[in-house]
Amino acid sequence: MNAVIQKIKTDKLIVLLVLFSILSISLLLQYEFNLKQALFFLVGISFGLILMHAMFGFTGGWRMFIRSRHSVGVRAQILLVMLSSILFFPIVGGVFTDISSHAALGQIGTSVVIGAFLFGIGMQLGGGCGSGTLFTVGQGQTDMLITISFFIIGATLGSYHLPWWLSLPNIGKVSLISELGWFPALAVQLVVLILLYRFVASLEIKRHKTLKSFSLQQKNENFLEQLIHGPWPIWWGVIGLTLFGLVTLLMAGYPWSITFAFGLWGAKIWSALGGDVANWAYWSGGYPAKALNQSVLADITSVMNFGIILGAMLAAALAGKYAPEGKLKSKRVLTAVIGGLLLGYGARLAFGCNIGALLGGIASGSLHGWLWLVAAFSGGIVGVKIRVWMKFDKPYGAAR
Amino acid sequence: MKKSNRLIVGTALGLAAIAVAMDHTKHRLPDPISAEQEQSTMSEDESPCGMGEESSPCSMDSDDTDSSPCGLGD
Repeated sequence: MNAVIQKIKTDKLIVLLVLFSILSISLLLQYEFNLKQALFFLVGISFGLILMHAMFGFTGGWRMFIRSRHSVGVRAQILLVMLSSILFFPIVGGVFTDISSHAALGQIGTSVVIGAFLFGIGMQLGGGCGSGTLFTVGQGQTDMLITISFFIIGATLGSYHLPWWLSLPNIGKVSLISELGWFPALAVQLVVLILLYRFVASLEIKRHKTLKSFSLQQKNENFLEQLIHGPWPIWWGVIGLTLFGLVTLLMAGYPWSITFAFGLWGAKIWSALGGDVANWAYWSGGYPAKALNQSVLADITSVMNFGIILGAMLAAALAGKYAPEGKLKSKRVLTAVIGGLLLGYGARLAFGCNIGALLGGIASGSLHGWLWLVAAFSGGIVGVKIRVWMKFDKPYGAAR
Repeated sequence: MKKSNRLIVGTALGLAAIAVAMDHTKHRLPDPISAEQEQSTMSEDESPCGMGEESSPCSMDSDDTDSSPCGLGD
């Protein structure tokens, strides 16, 4: 055992409880539905474990870059989109005739711009994005329970108002793969992503005269121990998320998504309290109506989200990081409430979050994903300024 | 403080589990389908990235119907 491992105090009780829960839920899903539903849950577990061990968060990466130009997180995200695009484009483009899969297309217009901008602010105030909120809840961060609760309320409200937002100006859905063909579209996209990577890296070099690498500061020489207990270098996270993103695309027929489930949970809760959700336009037809009228465990997105929470909990317990200490202050409660509402409402308007719209959208050739990125990052800049104004963070100069 | 945090998170997840169990028992379970049927219907009915319109916005196939949870079922 080396020095790093000796410091890790695995939370054995939580590990056992989570493993028992994973086994029970997997068997339940296989018995009640089919093996595939159980596998979706296990893919969710893997996502949660990867996100937690690699601490792969979009929110923190954006904030670090906006405040101090440290770009490790942002560059890892760009790499993730690049690798996912390389794998997704030929599949969505129909190269493999035996595989049926769809792009995560969203219409390009007012609702995406406003929704993603609100989501970007919400990320910084709420302290997480779509994936980040789930894995930090799994880690046992109590403030994120507030964020996710209001994320659900916001997504439900967003589904109520969506018809009006969709009536605002838009140019419809644009698929780069349909417009250009999968290979030219991929080539164009990769060039843009490489330029973006270089631009982001150059800003860090300009500020700090050096570029931070993806490797860990504290290295563990025992690969297996590090694999189980973490922490992982961020590039392990990139590889893991890419591979399980591909598994999701192949199994589900569409890219990984998260926030549809939040709206569904809210609609189901509101319905259970006597609300007439079924008459809302969003929930009255198509897949949403179907999801509303069947068990939540039949919804793939929900099952994967449950998996992410439990996977992150398992990883946190293995790393001895479950339920970190910390007193909840009233100002943090306020930002969790506002941030959560903005996250949920924004995600519904923008056809998804950082996973469904940014990663899934861009990697499957939807132009709305790029619009989402620009609008959400702009919102993130505003969100970071609000955090400074609220004295959560020191002013920019102090962070350099 | 750590113990109280664990209690809060445990309670929240416990309540969520009860809510999921209540929802699951409330809805009629789907009829069992064969692996063959599952294969043929999967890509048409289960797509959560677009809108449940006549043609799925998630799909590049204009014949695809009744399929997605990101938008409106109008």
